Amino acid sequence: MPVSAFLARLDAASPLLLWLLPLALLPLWVSGQRVTPVPAIRAAPSDGLSRAIGRALSLAGVLAIGGVILALAGPYRRGETVTRTGIGAQVSMLIDRSGSMNETFAGRQPSGGEESKAAASRRLLGEFVGSRAHDQFAVAAFSTAPMLVLPMTERHTAVRAAIDAIDRPGLDYTNVARGLAMALAQFGTGTAEASRVLLLVSDGAAVIDPRVQGQLRADFAKVRPNLYWLFLRTKGSPSISDRPAGEDTPQAAPERHLDLFFRSLGVPYRAFEVESAEAVADAIRRIEGLERDPIPYTEQRPRRDLTPVAYALSALGLLILIAGKLVEADLRRGRAAAAEATPARGVSRERRAA
Amino acid sequence: MRPGGTTAEIIYLPRWRPAGSRVGAHRGRDAGGLGTFRDQVPFWRLPEARRIDIRATLRDPFEGTHVRRFEARTAVEAWALVDLSASMRFRGAADRMMLASQVCVGLAGSATRIGDAFGLIACGETLRDDLFLPATRRRGRALDMAGRIAAAAGAETGAAGLVTAARLLVGRPKLVFLISDFRWPSALIEQVFAALALHDVVPILLVDSAEDEGLPAWGLVELDDLEGAGRRVVFMRPKLRQRWIARERARLDELRRIATAVGRAPFRLVDRFDPEALSRHLLTS
Repeated sequence: MPVSAFLARLDAASPLLLWLLPLALLPLWVSGQRVTPVPAIRAAPSDGLSRAIGRALSLAGVLAIGGVILALAGPYRRGETVTRTGIGAQVSMLIDRSGSMNETFAGRQPSGGEESKAAASRRLLGEFVGSRAHDQFAVAAFSTAPMLVLPMTERHTAVRAAIDAIDRPGLDYTNVARGLAMALAQFGTGTAEASRVLLLVSDGAAVIDPRVQGQLRADFAKVRPNLYWLFLRTKGSPSISDRPAGEDTPQAAPERHLDLFFRSLGVPYRAFEVESAEAVADAIRRIEGLERDPIPYTEQRPRRDLTPVAYALSALGLLILIAGKLVEADLRRGRAAAAEATPARGVSRERRAA
Repeated sequence: MRPGGTTAEIIYLPRWRPAGSRVGAHRGRDAGGLGTFRDQVPFWRLPEARRIDIRATLRDPFEGTHVRRFEARTAVEAWALVDLSASMRFRGAADRMMLASQVCVGLAGSATRIGDAFGLIACGETLRDDLFLPATRRRGRALDMAGRIAAAAGAETGAAGLVTAARLLVGRPKLVFLISDFRWPSALIEQVFAALALHDVVPILLVDSAEDEGLPAWGLVELDDLEGAGRRVVFMRPKLRQRWIARERARLDELRRIATAVGRAPFRLVDRFDPEALSRHLLTS
């Protein structure tokens, strides 16, 4: 991250205290060391190590004072939303909540170790959600009316919770048209920044009113999602491709006509007709493999308190200063020797006074 | 340091034969009066019948008459030139100004005791008028002024006034004690010694063991130059200490080289003023 961007996000809780910061320059003039006056500083040989230590001590003083002032001002880094690019897709799931989803693939109420279609799709979709970090999901359910479960988000925990809820006992009918409209609305109105996937999970189909079809076509043309239809077919029920024995009307073969409708939309479309949990897993894996495009995703960074860092810097400076104090030597250590001479000097003073 | 005690006596011998008519303690250039036998001269050179050397006259095969001559005892002027630059305020093992004052008091006492005049000039960058003493034989005044040196606080950062001071010492050669730590640029040292070249100059180098042998082997010292040349942290370690002492030695050698070219070798006064040591130095150098 560029330094300027980092600096731009710095702030302080009480910025007025920062006016004291010039005080941190004091150690450049004043030293904490005991100052020994010498007749000529040139007597001391110039020495790189000493110079370095001297600078380090000054800097440590600056650091100690500056750090404390900074810490008192309470610095922090503002929270932000970072946009990054990862591999993934925006997935809008549209899940059938009709009553038949609570049956097994064999069309019975689940008993014993059996798994209902809803439970199987819950399990497998849950795995799908966790598998890639940067996918964004929206979940909508539909039966008679569409239900907004979760808007587009990248919080996979919430998505998984939403998916966990889809094996609640379902309601009755299958009104796929309004569900599709809602699922499309989940993508928002903006232009596509990533590949968009509309995943329809259902175990049946319904007639789409020709009046609504026009609206849906327009929506699909605008959003242009990749459409996947995970058709959980109950054993014995008609397949997507089965032509009905009698009249080929949407009412007689809604699945086939929904498929035809999807094909006619002009968006990339694939239908997976699955009759078992394994097949569902396989289909999901294939969808996962198909959707590998870059996606911009946002990341929330919380506000970070930098006070401990400032205190740590200050403590570091203080430590260096203390170390400097501890190794301090007295140039006039010879005072002990001078003490012997002192009586003589005292005498001489007396004599002069006399 | 009243020059009553024998230890405080500084004995000095001028290196030259002083001229002059004032009677003093030193062997003068001129002959005259009573005193130490000097030589014999023909009567015609010194027609003084009282001094006829009968022995020499009888011994002379050419029958010339010889007269004895005696050395005149002459007084000299002893001057103390005291450096009052800020570096002299240094107090290490000893107070440097106190040492300078002791030397001055010793000189004042010793000089006036034997009838020599004592003069004092103290200067930093400029002359200090309040510490100027024209050569005087009056003991009290000389001692008083010499004692005042101890309390004189130098604040000036140079010693260029010594060149001016040297110009004040005109006339007959004088015995000049140059009391300083000689922390000068070597150009100034040469200049001062050149200006004093006519005189018998005794450099007295004030050394403190704290800035020489007494340096600590290890430790961090922040040095502050008394003459305002800045402040510096020095990390003492045995190697640096050696270099430091070596530099001091080199400085002393340089001073000795310059001083001996025009006068005597410098007397190194370390920590404590010992008049006997100074006397020995003065008699031997």
